[in-house]
Amino acid sequence: MTADPEPVAADLQPVPAGDEVPWQRLDTRVVWVDSAKTVLSMVPAGVAVVFFGAEISWGTMGPILVGTAVGVFGGLADLLRWVKTRYRVTDEYVERRTGLLVRQHRSIRRDRIRSVDTSAKLRHKLTGLRVVTVGAGQHSAAGEAALTLDAVRVDTAQRLRQELLYGGPAERTSEPEPQAVTEAAPRPDDEQVFARLERSWVVYNMFSVWAFLMAAGLLWGTYWALQMFGLDPAGFVRGLADWEAIGTAWTVVIAVATVGVVGVVGLAINFFTENWRFVLARVPGDRGTVLRTTQGLFKTREVNRDDNRLRGVQIDEPLLWRWMGMADTTVISTGLSIWSMTPSAQILPRGPVSVARRVAAQVLETGESPLDRPLRPHPRRALRRRVGWALLATAVVTGLLAWLTTLIDAMPGHVWLAGLGLAPVTLALAVVAYRSLGHTVADGYLVTRSGAWSRSTAALQSRAVVGVTFRQSLLQRRLRLATVQVTTAAGYGSYEAIDVESAEAVDLADRAVPGLLTAFRATATEPAGRAAEPAAVELQARP
Amino acid sequence: MAEQPIDLRPPEHRVERRAIGLWVLQSVIGFGILAGLLTAAYLIIGPARSWLGPILVVVAVWGAGVTLVMPLWRYAVHRWEVTEEAVYAVTGWVVREWRVAPISRIQTVDTIRGPLEQALNLATLEVTTASSRGAIKVPGMDAAVAAQVAADLAKITQRTPGDAT
Repeated sequence: MTADPEPVAADLQPVPAGDEVPWQRLDTRVVWVDSAKTVLSMVPAGVAVVFFGAEISWGTMGPILVGTAVGVFGGLADLLRWVKTRYRVTDEYVERRTGLLVRQHRSIRRDRIRSVDTSAKLRHKLTGLRVVTVGAGQHSAAGEAALTLDAVRVDTAQRLRQELLYGGPAERTSEPEPQAVTEAAPRPDDEQVFARLERSWVVYNMFSVWAFLMAAGLLWGTYWALQMFGLDPAGFVRGLADWEAIGTAWTVVIAVATVGVVGVVGLAINFFTENWRFVLARVPGDRGTVLRTTQGLFKTREVNRDDNRLRGVQIDEPLLWRWMGMADTTVISTGLSIWSMTPSAQILPRGPVSVARRVAAQVLETGESPLDRPLRPHPRRALRRRVGWALLATAVVTGLLAWLTTLIDAMPGHVWLAGLGLAPVTLALAVVAYRSLGHTVADGYLVTRSGAWSRSTAALQSRAVVGVTFRQSLLQRRLRLATVQVTTAAGYGSYEAIDVESAEAVDLADRAVPGLLTAFRATATEPAGRAAEPAAVELQARP
Repeated sequence: MAEQPIDLRPPEHRVERRAIGLWVLQSVIGFGILAGLLTAAYLIIGPARSWLGPILVVVAVWGAGVTLVMPLWRYAVHRWEVTEEAVYAVTGWVVREWRVAPISRIQTVDTIRGPLEQALNLATLEVTTASSRGAIKVPGMDAAVAAQVAADLAKITQRTPGDAT
C-alpha cells in the first residue's frame, strides 16, 4: 500500500478519512479494447502463416513474432492493470491505487492541481474513451505527470476536468451527470479563438534532419514487412534501373534524394495528423479562464492551462528556421512540464514568427506586447567574450587533433588543419550569439533574449520572480560585464540577461523586482524604489 | 569601501576561517582520487602510457594550483547576510555569484553537514525557493550559527504568508 517508487512533486501526505466516497474502476470498455488489442496483434502472424504459407522460424518471422508477443503481453498486462486500478475524487484529494507487485497509492491535493488534460489514441476514439492526466507539482522543471487515468468515458473525463479545474462538486456517483457536461462545454461566444491551423505551416515542419531518420525507419519497416510475405523488395529496386551504368556516385545521390523525399512527405503527413484541427483559445471556467489547445487526427489531444498560473511567454527561433521566419511558442507557467515529448507548455505548432508574436500579445493581454518592445542591445565587449570562446574552442580542437596525430601513426599528419576549418563557423556563431543578446523591462515584464543555436526571447512577469542572482567570471569582470539571472517557479526555473553592462546589472534587476535589492546596494539610491513592493502573493501559505 | 564589481555591497558576515581547511581538504581529496586512479592506470596499462603521462602531469599541476589558490580566494569572497526581508549571499572564486532571495519566497531552510564539515564543526546553509534553480548555498558556516540561522529563518518564513511561487 505505501510503496511508492518515485518521490513525486505532488505531496503524498496521509489521506484523511474520506470513507464515504466510493472507489471507482476505470471504464469497463478498457477490457474490450485490451482484448481486441491482444487478438489483433496476433493477426499479422496468422495471415503470414495461413495465406502466404510462411514458415514459423526465427529467421523469416522474427520481427513479426516479437511484435505479436509484445502485443499479446501488452494487452494482458493492461487487463491486469484495469483489474487492480481504482480511483476516487474526494473533497480534498484525487486518489489512485494501482499496481500488482508494487502497490501504489498516489494522492494529489486538489488545490495543487495545475492542469487536467485529456487525450485519446485511435483505440480510445473508436470506443469513446479518454485518457485523463492530472498534473501537479511545485518543481515544474521536474516535469512528471502526477496521475493518469487510462481510460474513462468521454463524459466522465469532461466531468472530472470540470470538477478538478474549476472546483465543481466532488464526484459522488459513477453515474454521469448530464448537467455538468453541458456546463463544461463553454458557450461559443465566450470563447476567444487566438489561432487555428493554417495549411502553409506545414512548410516549416517538413524540412528537418529527422526526415532522414523517419524515412530510414519507414523503409526498414516496409522492407521487413514485404519480405515476411514472401516478396522481394531488394530485387524489385535492383530491377528498376541499370544501376551499374549509372555509377556509384549517382546511385548514392538518387538513394539519398529518395530517402529525403520519403522523409519529407512522412514529416508532412505526421504534422497534419498531429495538428489536425488545431485550435488555440481562451475559454472561461469557474476559476478564471484557461488557455486551451485541441489538436490531432487519430490521437486527439486537449490541454488546458490555468491562466492563474500563467507567468509569461517564450518564443524560440532555432538558427536555420529563423531565416525562414519560423518560431516555437511556449507559455511560461507553473506546473507545466517542459521536458516531456509532447510539451503541454507549447501553445502553437512551429509556425510563422508574426503569428507567434500576435498570439503572445493576445495571451499576455497587455496593451503592447512586451515581446514586441525594442530590446536594449548589450555592450560591444560581450562580442569580445564570445569571439574569445570561439577562438578557444577552435584552438582546443586543433590542439587535440595535433596531439592525436603524434600519438596515432595511422592518422595523416595534416589532419589538425581541419580544426582550423572550424574557425569561420565558431566565429559566425559568436556574432550570431552576440546579436541575439538583448533585454528590457516593460509593463511589469522582464524580457530577455539570448542564444546562438536557438534564439529564445522570454517575457516573464515580475511578480513571478522568486530570487535574483548576479554572476561574474574573472573575464567578465575585466570586460565590465555581468549576467543577471532571475529565478522563478515557472517554466525553465530561471531566465537570464547574459553579459549586461556590470554597472547597470543591479539597476536592471531592481527595475524587474522593485524593492528587493534596495537594502544591499553599494551606492545609496533614493527610497522611491521601495514604494513598489513585490506584488502580494496569491493563494495560501504552504503548510 | 573598495570599488565593487557590481552595484551591491558585500553581505555582512564572513564564513568561518576553518572553511579554508575544509576547501583545502576537499580539493586534496578530490584531486588525490583522480590522480591516484590515473597513476594506477599509468602503472598497469603499459601501452597507454604515452598519452596518460601528459594527462597525469596536467592533472597534478592543475590540482596543486587549485589547492593553493582556491581556498584563500573563496574565503575572501564568501559572505552571507539574513535580514527581515531577504537572504543575501556571495559565493564562488573564478566565477562569483551574488544571490538574493526574498523571505516571502523561501520554501525550505536546511543545514547540511558532510563528513568533512562534521570533522571541522562546520555546516552548509541551504535555502531553497520554488525555483528549481534558485537554491542559495552558504558552505563553511559554523555549525551552531548555521543551525541558529536556519531556526530563525524558519520562524520568519512562517510569519510570511504566500505559497512562495
